[in-house]
Amino acid sequence: MDQEAIANQVRMCAACPKMCRHVCPTFFAWRSESPTPHGRALLLHQENSGTRELDDRGIEVLYQCLECSHCLTWCQPEIDIAEIVEHKRRLIVQDGRYPSGLDSLKQNILEHHNPFGEDHVKRTEWFKTSEKTGEELVYFVGCTASYREVKIAQQTQKLLGSLGYSLTVSEDEWCCGSPLFRTGFTEDALKQAEYNVEMLNAQSGDTIVVTCPGCYRVLRNDYPEYGLELKKPVRHISELLEEKLNDLPKTAIDGTVTYHDPCHLGRHMGVYDAPRQVLEKIADGQFIEMERNRDNAMCCGNGAGMRTLFGEKAQVIGSERVKQALDVNAKYLVTSCPFCKNMLASQGNGKIEVFDLPEFVIHVSELSD
Amino acid sequence: MLDSRTKDELVKRLETIVGSENVSVQETDMVLNAHDASPLSEAKIRAGESLPLADAVVFPNSTEEVAKILKCANELKIPVIPVGGGAGTCGGTLPIHGGLQVDLKRMNKIFTIDDKSLTVHVQAGVVGIDLEEELNRHGYISGHTPTSLRASNAGGFIATRSGGSKSSLYGKIEDLTLGLQVVLPDGSIIDLKAVPRHAVGPDLKQLFIGSEGTLGIITEATFRIFRTPESQSFRSMCFPDVSRGLAAIREIFQSGVTPSVVRLYDPEDTAMAVSTHFDVAEGDCMLMLAFDGSTDQVILDEKKAADICLNLGAKDYGEGPSMRWWEHRYDMYYPTKFTTSGFSIGDTIDIVATYDKLENVYYAMKDAMEVHDAVVMSHFSHMYPNGGSIYMIFFFAGPDAETTWATYKKIWDDGVAACLREGGTMSHQHGVGLTRTTYNEGEWGPAFEVIRKIKQLLDPNGIMNPGKMGLGVRE
Repeated sequence: MDQEAIANQVRMCAACPKMCRHVCPTFFAWRSESPTPHGRALLLHQENSGTRELDDRGIEVLYQCLECSHCLTWCQPEIDIAEIVEHKRRLIVQDGRYPSGLDSLKQNILEHHNPFGEDHVKRTEWFKTSEKTGEELVYFVGCTASYREVKIAQQTQKLLGSLGYSLTVSEDEWCCGSPLFRTGFTEDALKQAEYNVEMLNAQSGDTIVVTCPGCYRVLRNDYPEYGLELKKPVRHISELLEEKLNDLPKTAIDGTVTYHDPCHLGRHMGVYDAPRQVLEKIADGQFIEMERNRDNAMCCGNGAGMRTLFGEKAQVIGSERVKQALDVNAKYLVTSCPFCKNMLASQGNGKIEVFDLPEFVIHVSELSD
Repeated sequence: MLDSRTKDELVKRLETIVGSENVSVQETDMVLNAHDASPLSEAKIRAGESLPLADAVVFPNSTEEVAKILKCANELKIPVIPVGGGAGTCGGTLPIHGGLQVDLKRMNKIFTIDDKSLTVHVQAGVVGIDLEEELNRHGYISGHTPTSLRASNAGGFIATRSGGSKSSLYGKIEDLTLGLQVVLPDGSIIDLKAVPRHAVGPDLKQLFIGSEGTLGIITEATFRIFRTPESQSFRSMCFPDVSRGLAAIREIFQSGVTPSVVRLYDPEDTAMAVSTHFDVAEGDCMLMLAFDGSTDQVILDEKKAADICLNLGAKDYGEGPSMRWWEHRYDMYYPTKFTTSGFSIGDTIDIVATYDKLENVYYAMKDAMEVHDAVVMSHFSHMYPNGGSIYMIFFFAGPDAETTWATYKKIWDDGVAACLREGGTMSHQHGVGLTRTTYNEGEWGPAFEVIRKIKQLLDPNGIMNPGKMGLGVRE
């Protein structure tokens, strides 16, 4: 989007009678006019029109955004504040005015190739090498499944193995760069991206599979946008599983299951049906939608630097999303994103069982055994 | 603006009451709270103008906190501007004299839904759509769905004396509010019990319904609710002119039928809002009707209303235009390239009058407003057996900000003057706020002195929302 288009859009959004504010997760968390779509737009419009410069609080407001694009679902003029905020974050980073709370995130990724500051050599500790039979997939694991939600990675290997695939997991995988792209550190993100593209193109598998929608979006959209070409198709695990519906287990599970749409997979990549197809198949009639679903799904609260900068507010949002699952009496809350799963599970408080999609498929298969 | 010593003292005391995380003096937060949905504030934002800022904004979480805040502000004699959803169309929450904005958005609890009495008890900061959705989950509706539903909240509904899109059937907010809790300017809390009605003197609730934050802060309310209607139907009828359309509306109500929606579009509004989707002859006026209730009752009501229209020479358009309006009722509220280009501005003067005056008011206002090269299009809605409201909608675009703002004011001045001259009342449901503040004394006449005395009694320091409702206007 060029500067003139952005200027026209924020001008219109800044003076809207708040038609999307009711679904904005950061409005929910702060209950203030500031971290709202029209609030962000107004700050940018005032800067564009020379009315008022962006001060430090204004910058903070621009980082109090999950870039979840839920506002876009409710915006008739189709103004994507997430895209505009991200554009501005790039400029803020260029000026060196970003929140200092992001320094550790950036440094960790640059030094350790993951946002957690974990030792890179531990990245693939979970992986069990097995004999390569069947179609070979390159599994781009992502940082959360590698270090924080290792069971997702393990169950993914187990599941895909049971479906006849063999997995390649590279010790050379770096962070995809998503946290850096989303917070404005494009130059640093591209260092990760360039390395990963070279690494992935050198692998022998024909298809790259990801379990993390953040990685999925970056590999599918951001890399090509910067001229970085992957020579293999990138598939999300839910899409692969959808093609193998007949091979998936099916059982009468002991309660209903609902699905949380990750923003990067749903609103940003348009993948809504595949995970539902899988759940409807394996849960055998026990799948139920939350009131807010698909492009109207609430964000889990984790994205675009929120958890790093405003962890308590991120949890308020995650907790509300769990409540929405409890409101439909779900026993299981399934998502298809390790990062979302991590947040939702942390807010479950024993009231609901939270799974990532491959984990849940394995769970159901064990129930049906 | 407050002097720095007073401001420091205020902030120190507010932080003690609500915690430092719930008080802001950051300019950015003031800027983002400086406007509502009033067209002039929106147009000025688009034009790159700065709006007056508060000195501080505070976010209480309970009635007790509001009480302490008002006691403090009263002692310091600081202007207090209550803010609900910030969705008003008249500038009622604009901090034109600086001071303290008391933002109620954290007070968003829905306490109880009483299935026996069909009531709901809420805090003032609950957003309309959140309340409506919660009621829907329990098989109820609020009956109060203004176009601002996604942004406006319960306190704002009451403070502005608002009306919803189906108010003809379910009533306005003054009909729906059974109980009220208000914090007075000195910090005392009054509870006005939730009862269907009473005969123990005047209904004090009504003093605060429509008081726009000038007499205190509404903190809690109990509303009537309704079972979700079994059935809903739509019907559209086209008339050759406004006069016959109004005759039909009058006969429908006076014959005992109460539709939930009644909207008669004049030729200009029909051309803009209806002809773009349906084949309507130039100059015709579309009447949109909706009926809620039991299936049998809805069928009977629709038939009776349709017969009245057909007997008055209407063309039957079936459910189409009316249903389309219902399904797209929020669309008109979004900004578009047309309504936001250059220095354009659009607004609505939502007047009300009895049937004997209504048509005269309409033509008089239309003439007065069109003199200023405004495009004027109108619809009659929120109707009653004895009269109803007109949405006198206008658009104007000048070559520069100065011309546009000046012309905007002239359109308002002359439109309101024409309304009052012909016996109408200048607002049906949007309120007074800042937009109508200078006309309010003229609207009320000598009776305004009563309002002034009540204000003086309850708010002797004049801290509550100064400059709004014609009270505390400062040049």
